Amino acid sequence: MLLAASALGGCSDEGGAREGLVVSGSTTLLPIAEVSGEMFGEENPGVSILVSGMGSSAGIESVSSGSSAIGTSSRELKDAEFDLGLYDTPVAYDAIAVIVHPDNPVRDLTADEVREIFAGTITNWSEVGGPDLEIGLVNRDEASGTREAFHKIVMGDEPFYRGAVVLPGTGQVRAVVAEVKGAVGYISLGFVTDEVVAVGIDGVAPSEASVVSGAYKVQRLLHFFTMGEPEGLAAEYIAFVLSPAVQETVVRDAGFIPITAKEVSGD
Amino acid sequence: MTEQREHVEAAPPHMGSVLKMMSRATYFREAALRNLFLLCAVAAVAGVALIFVFVGVRGWPVVQDPGLAAFLFGSEWSATNDAFGILPLVTGTLVVTIGALLLGAPLAIGTAVFLSEIASPRMRSIVRPAVEMLAGVPSVVFGFFGLVILRPVVAALTGGMGFGPLTASVILAVMIVPTISTLTEDALRSVAPGIRHASYAMGATTWQTIYKVLLPAAKIGIIDATILGMGRAIGETMAVVMVAGNAPQFFAGLGEPIVTLTSQIVIDMSYASGTHRTALFGLAIILFLISMGLVALVRTLSRHAERQG
Repeated sequence: MLLAASALGGCSDEGGAREGLVVSGSTTLLPIAEVSGEMFGEENPGVSILVSGMGSSAGIESVSSGSSAIGTSSRELKDAEFDLGLYDTPVAYDAIAVIVHPDNPVRDLTADEVREIFAGTITNWSEVGGPDLEIGLVNRDEASGTREAFHKIVMGDEPFYRGAVVLPGTGQVRAVVAEVKGAVGYISLGFVTDEVVAVGIDGVAPSEASVVSGAYKVQRLLHFFTMGEPEGLAAEYIAFVLSPAVQETVVRDAGFIPITAKEVSGD
Repeated sequence: MTEQREHVEAAPPHMGSVLKMMSRATYFREAALRNLFLLCAVAAVAGVALIFVFVGVRGWPVVQDPGLAAFLFGSEWSATNDAFGILPLVTGTLVVTIGALLLGAPLAIGTAVFLSEIASPRMRSIVRPAVEMLAGVPSVVFGFFGLVILRPVVAALTGGMGFGPLTASVILAVMIVPTISTLTEDALRSVAPGIRHASYAMGATTWQTIYKVLLPAAKIGIIDATILGMGRAIGETMAVVMVAGNAPQFFAGLGEPIVTLTSQIVIDMSYASGTHRTALFGLAIILFLISMGLVALVRTLSRHAERQG
């Protein structure tokens, strides 16, 4: 209740006033938060979910300072953020796919090869069993949660090659890889289309099944963070987001894998 | 009424010299208009001053963190490593701008010479609006053109993916043509007609007149035009972000990605906080200083020319 009250901000509680819940953070999660927020508002007249996308870091910052009830994030907490007392509710899975041009015959790489390609030590496709073609590296900007997740999972301590082309958006990475024969980039699995090919890593192609089974390693969780365990309106909204009504429609439509998929597959 | 007249006479000579006597209503209307225009001028100046103060205050802390030397002479810009050295960005801006001027200035000056000295009135009425329209094309359209049409051509020339200084320079060259050619044409037109006629009377050909008489006579105006075009090239952001490749590394070849001051700001803006944000304002200060320097240069040159003329 305290949470909802703080989220109300300046609104006064006149009779019949709308209850508000502020949700802010990751732009990756924006489609999920926005659409589910609207649906929640329709089902609960008098409640409005105010969603804004400012980036994962800003979301974590705003939930810990109390200006949002829920902070959304496409990355894990950093060391410095562990002590803030944030409660993590994962709401979806996302796989990051390494993509190449359809004419490029390379269909599978080892994790080491992917790392060496993005570190700039492998510079020609012939070194990984492809044609004699220069590799065109396409990277994301440093603001990208996808870049951060990819770096953490694939690169480890190795830095990205600094001469890589930096593009500020998933769509741009896809468009360039679709046009340049030697190019390689990485994007969220949900954004992969026929224009590009997602290569397998260590023999496992990215798919819902391989993500759920854990065989495809380059995957991440998308989070809702609350200050302590969610209560009141925030708890109701999060429960709604986790319900099949949202998971099977909104989350899937946005190109992500429902968090419930793992339970359904039931090991 | 006498009081009113005294008032009019007390007004500055250039005001009073037009009308010795006016009704009170006219006087107030005149005064109101005068103040309205003054207000416009003040608003423009205040705008610049406010932006300068804001950017200065927000960017000033870079002298403590990361430190002036690390900021100005650091060779690594990487927010994730807390490294904010602007040298690669400054050199990137320089390379791209010089490239744009090398390609764009001759093109623009040639266009201006054609328009003012060679073209028939009919030809002029086609070419000039076309050049002016170039100035109205949104920069994102230039960027898109560069990305889709020009980049593959550059890639075929230089190898690699075609992102880099060459693509950016060609796009910028086209973008600065209207600025430079319009101002150059003005400069050529303001050369006294007598000089032109005298040259032809001496039996000089069109080319000799242009090359030996008109271009030297309009020299200062052409340099001014080029400097203003340079300012446009340095400040352009959107088109450059789309084609330069945005890798914060030193110039490594015409087809290797590079980043400029403005594009780094636009890429980092959305998520920067703390020192990183301060460093971005620091970049804005650098840009401000560059543009102030260019304006000062233009003014000095014009004053120099006036004194000579």
